[in-house]
Amino acid sequence: MSEVVIKTRKLTKEYVRDEFHVVALRDADIEIHRGEFVALMGPSGSGKSTLLHLAAAMDRPTKGEIEVLGSKLNTLSDGDIARWRNRHVGFVFQSFNLIPVLTALENVELPLKLTHLKKAERIAHATTALKLVGLGDRLGHYPRQLSGGQEQRVAIARAIVTDPDILLCDEPTGNLDSKSASEVLSLLSTLNKEHGKTIVMVTHDPHAAHYASKVRYIDKGELLTEGTMPEDWKSMSA
Amino acid sequence: MRYLPLIVKNCLRNRRRSLLTIASLAISLCLLGVMMALYYALFLGAPAKSQARRLVTRHKVSIVFQMPIYYRDQIRNVKGVEEVAIWQWYGGVYKDSRDQRNFFPRIGVEADKLFKVYGEYSIPEDQKKAFIQDPASCVVGKALADRFGFKVGDKILIKGDIFPFDLDLTIRGIYTSSETSDETLWFNFKYLENALRNSSRLAAGTFTMLANDPAEVPRIAREIDALFANAPTPTHTESEYAFGVSFLSFLGNIKVILMSICGAVTFTILLISANTMAMSVRERVREVGVLKTLGFQQTTILGMILGESAVIALIGGAIGLAIAELLCGVIRQGPAIVDQTKTLTLQPPVIALLLGIAMVIGMASAVVPAWNAARTNIIDALRFTD
Repeated sequence: MSEVVIKTRKLTKEYVRDEFHVVALRDADIEIHRGEFVALMGPSGSGKSTLLHLAAAMDRPTKGEIEVLGSKLNTLSDGDIARWRNRHVGFVFQSFNLIPVLTALENVELPLKLTHLKKAERIAHATTALKLVGLGDRLGHYPRQLSGGQEQRVAIARAIVTDPDILLCDEPTGNLDSKSASEVLSLLSTLNKEHGKTIVMVTHDPHAAHYASKVRYIDKGELLTEGTMPEDWKSMSA
Repeated sequence: MRYLPLIVKNCLRNRRRSLLTIASLAISLCLLGVMMALYYALFLGAPAKSQARRLVTRHKVSIVFQMPIYYRDQIRNVKGVEEVAIWQWYGGVYKDSRDQRNFFPRIGVEADKLFKVYGEYSIPEDQKKAFIQDPASCVVGKALADRFGFKVGDKILIKGDIFPFDLDLTIRGIYTSSETSDETLWFNFKYLENALRNSSRLAAGTFTMLANDPAEVPRIAREIDALFANAPTPTHTESEYAFGVSFLSFLGNIKVILMSICGAVTFTILLISANTMAMSVRERVREVGVLKTLGFQQTTILGMILGESAVIALIGGAIGLAIAELLCGVIRQGPAIVDQTKTLTLQPPVIALLLGIAMVIGMASAVVPAWNAARTNIIDALRFTD
């Protein structure tokens, strides 16, 4: 069995929104191994994005432990977490979240500005990443000049440009038509199979989940045992 | 420096808003620039080389009170005084007093001493002699002559208002001045002597002295005032530069007025800039969340937003200063209220101070929204909807 890169124990996230106390994730235990492509599925509000955010150290758990690539995220300072995230994690959003005033190349170069690379090296790396996602001819295009699928591929290039160990994708095909979605999923599959990236993808699209090597379900904040899915999903997938 | 392209691109994100902000900053800083140039010229600047040796003696209570003419001889005997000339402000009306353009100083002066005391004046020798010899004559500055089209030999009539007679003068010369105002009409003091013969109104408005050495000016001033300290008409003596500034005190406390305007302008710019930056940052909270997800730290994000505001403020400031310098040029060409306005310009310390103010305003206006954005939790930032 390969190395465990994400490991949680009794991971819980609670928050208060207005006057409501919400348990977004309850006692989640999960182990994800290097090189896996895991799809986290579940209905809206089930806690799958929360788990992803905790794995990316974008949020802190209320209880429990989370260890990613050997680092106990609970114990790191905000500054250390920012550096760790830049080095080890690539994050892909549902709504792309590209910076509109920057070109595709500049968007992809952005995470490299936090490294010690010189300008020419940063440009070379960003160009390589964009070529890898099939956008070598769109370097100077602004986000508004790209299609949704192309924007998401730029976002993926931005996520992989620092060569992170883990790629975390929050419904990466949620805003795309089926053709663009298939292209993005194929790209993620290639990154997993040919470049060995560990990918955790949140989705509620069964078609998207087929690209993953493993599917885990979350329902009402609880991570279900591997190999099981919520009762009301069984009929949907049948 | 590696974030500068991002800062510049963010400045250009909403071009119309940035341009309007830069324009409002430029106008405000232009006003501030002119005010500060004026303040510097009046209270912090050095007198012109020719002015440095001149002093003015007036009545201790007020310039409106007169002094006996015989004071001149006593002042002349003070050690270090090279020359003394009587001045008498005539006032009067040229053509129509309702038209401000007809105003210019009309001063009676001892003709033979004028060009000794005002060494910076240049005038042809024959014109100077004609002025000294003709008791009903005057000389006018080149700027004044140009304004009204005066030529040597022209007659000029000034109706009396302070004095109970008119001045019927012949222009005998046109002088130029390299350093001080050349918009004054100087007429021969003998005109007043003849008109006010045996009258108690024949007196000196002020005495203007030329000292041997600029360093001696404070001592000479003290000695002259000590000379008349117990006389019925005590005096107040000061450098000509200070006298010019004190003239402005008729308008009120100029220092306080200028500083108040500067303060109000600065505060207004701060509000304008703060409002713009708050809007600019507010519509980018999601992007701050994205930057943090990519690994950007709070301090970096804070620095980028502050830098953006500083860039906009500096551009606005630089444009404002350029316009202010142009306005100073216009003021220099206009009528001289005091000699200092003839050399009005933005001095390097004023430029540095104004750019510093622009920078501080830029940073101060952005610090609160930038700080709030930078410390927003990533998840809250990504969920933020304006």
